[in-house]
Amino acid sequence: MDNKLIIGSPPHVHTRETTARIMWMVTVSLVPAGIGAVVIFGLQALWLTLWSILAAVATEAVIQFLSKSKISIADGSAVLTGLLLAYNIPPNAPFWIPIAGSCFAIAIGKMVFGGLGQNIFNPALVGRAFLMASWPAAMTTFCAPLGKADAVTGATPLAALKEGKIVESLSYLDMLLGLRGGCIGEVCIIALLVGAVFLLIRGYISWHIPVSFIGSTALLMFIFGRQGAFTGDWLFHILNGGLLLGACFMATDYVTSPLTARGQIIFGIGCGVLTAVIRLWGGYPEGVSYAILMMNAATPLIDRYTRKRIYGT
Amino acid sequence: MAKTNNLFLEFWKGIIKENPTFVLALGLCPTLAVSISVANAVGMGVAATFVLLGSNIMIALLKNFIPDKVRIPCYIVVIATFVTIAELSMKAYSPALNRALGIYVPLIVVNCMVLGRAEAFASKNNVVASILDALGMGVGFTVALILISAIRELLGAGKIAGFVVTKNFAPAAMIAMPSGALLVIGLLLGYFNYLKEKN
Amino acid sequence: MDIGVFLSIFISAVFINNVILSRFLGLCSFIAISKETKPAFAMSMAVMFVITMSAIITWLIYRFLLIPFNMTYLRTISFILVIAAFVQFVEMVVRKTAPHLYKLFGIYLPLITVNCAVLGIAVLNSDMFMSDTTPVLASFFYSVFQAICAGIGYMLAMLLMSAIRERLELCNVPKALRDFPLGFIIAAIMSLSFLGFNGFKF
Repeated sequence: MDNKLIIGSPPHVHTRETTARIMWMVTVSLVPAGIGAVVIFGLQALWLTLWSILAAVATEAVIQFLSKSKISIADGSAVLTGLLLAYNIPPNAPFWIPIAGSCFAIAIGKMVFGGLGQNIFNPALVGRAFLMASWPAAMTTFCAPLGKADAVTGATPLAALKEGKIVESLSYLDMLLGLRGGCIGEVCIIALLVGAVFLLIRGYISWHIPVSFIGSTALLMFIFGRQGAFTGDWLFHILNGGLLLGACFMATDYVTSPLTARGQIIFGIGCGVLTAVIRLWGGYPEGVSYAILMMNAATPLIDRYTRKRIYGT
Repeated sequence: MAKTNNLFLEFWKGIIKENPTFVLALGLCPTLAVSISVANAVGMGVAATFVLLGSNIMIALLKNFIPDKVRIPCYIVVIATFVTIAELSMKAYSPALNRALGIYVPLIVVNCMVLGRAEAFASKNNVVASILDALGMGVGFTVALILISAIRELLGAGKIAGFVVTKNFAPAAMIAMPSGALLVIGLLLGYFNYLKEKN
Repeated sequence: MDIGVFLSIFISAVFINNVILSRFLGLCSFIAISKETKPAFAMSMAVMFVITMSAIITWLIYRFLLIPFNMTYLRTISFILVIAAFVQFVEMVVRKTAPHLYKLFGIYLPLITVNCAVLGIAVLNSDMFMSDTTPVLASFFYSVFQAICAGIGYMLAMLLMSAIRERLELCNVPKALRDFPLGFIIAAIMSLSFLGFNGFKF
């Protein structure tokens, strides 16, 4: 049943589901992670998220108004883009960061392609890549969780790992609850899990991409461990960085991921391998967003070689 | 009067109607690569104009002596000669600019704009018309380069022609990167398409 | 020679300094021939072959002709002539000996003569690995390897782009942005995503 919902440009889906309903459901499933972030980092996380959503919706409305096409901000896709972009920036970023990112995400990531259903890249990630390239300092300065300023200040655990420090003061429980430095939406793992399970059970996403994505990253991290082969702390790498947020909510975007189950597994493994390669040897501590963007570029190619042959051709 | 008017048109068409960058989409490689600052853009524009001028004059003069079958290699030799002259002079008089432009100076040889004008114009017209064509195309190319580099310098580095504009503005470094060049030229081409459609 | 140099040449030439997306070489062919996957693949194969072969030839010329006789100022002119002659030669040989192959790749060969990627990589090789005009032994292998990797980078960008554009054919893209402009914008986003490999270290 879920395969019917994976659509490129919207054809006529004969179910109760509409594009707008799906968008709003994904948005709702992301709310717990947002609440978690506000509890962990304070109200600034909320303000940044609101700025981001507002900028995304406003950009879409203005562009559609100027190009005299139908204004479709009610379908929730702009809200979702803004929300996801906000979840990908540090909680202590200046307020104009999410605004600039959302404008870029909607204008360049989505509207130049003709709007929803036609974009090649995940708009929120286009926005994030733009922000990372433009203002790297603002995008990589993290604040510690409230009341935990003495423990791991500043850097995220992954960044500390990259610099060769060993992260000791962080238990798996802390990571699960999100008591660590990181982007707004990625820290509270337990809330993300709740949202992901909700989407899976209701059939809004299929298991193929998240499982192959997370699985391949974890496997590679285990193999290329710090103390020689097959000693890596794979659980640490699942619970840190944006892996869960990326694998469950961004890589599964209908428009920018492959159509068939086989294609989705290839897509997921590609994302996972690229993420692990960047985490292990890249210059950045985290590679989830770049990995998804690169695989977004490969999606049409994957679709081309995995689509089912029409009998007789 | 009519004749000078025609010649003027020969010059003017390269700047607006047949702008090599925005309308004909020729010679984009150096356009994108060197448009980080206005100073680089002017250097590249002057070098390319010099090569265009030299090769157009030579080919217009030699067009009756070059056999049709080997004309492309002959054009390339002529162009490569002028590129080498430009390269060596730049090395001698402005080493800093030469370093900034890097491999894109020798690459003027394979710039489709230069070969394209030799093939499409100089091999069919007289010397005076070819000179004006080369000047028009060269100026059009330089103007396009300056436009792109001004946009990129302002947004990507917060400067206009090397001077810092405002200290309170954090420039979007992405525009100064290669991807920014692709983005700016894509949007500009789209904008000019839009203007063309409107007329 | 050390394996780390080869690995960093690979990552640099394929992703970070991708010939098309970051050095802007061969951009004309990239935009013109990336409308469909099949011709894009054929073109990339042809480019890869010519880049590699011309890297070998130009290295030999630079090392054994231009440097000993102190004529490095003839680099541009001699490189482009040799590349043009070589491409012409290959075209003739392929046409006579393998008509099938010629039908696949042949039509792209003349285009490659003026493909900036070929001359660009040759010049880049002589700049990067022989700048002190006393080449180390390894410079030959570095040059050839860099040429192959540049070819792979060219093919990667071509294949991704052509599949994307095939898909966009079915989409309702704003009229002014169709074809060229959107191609550049997609290339910009691809280039942005390859930044993820920035600072790669083994």
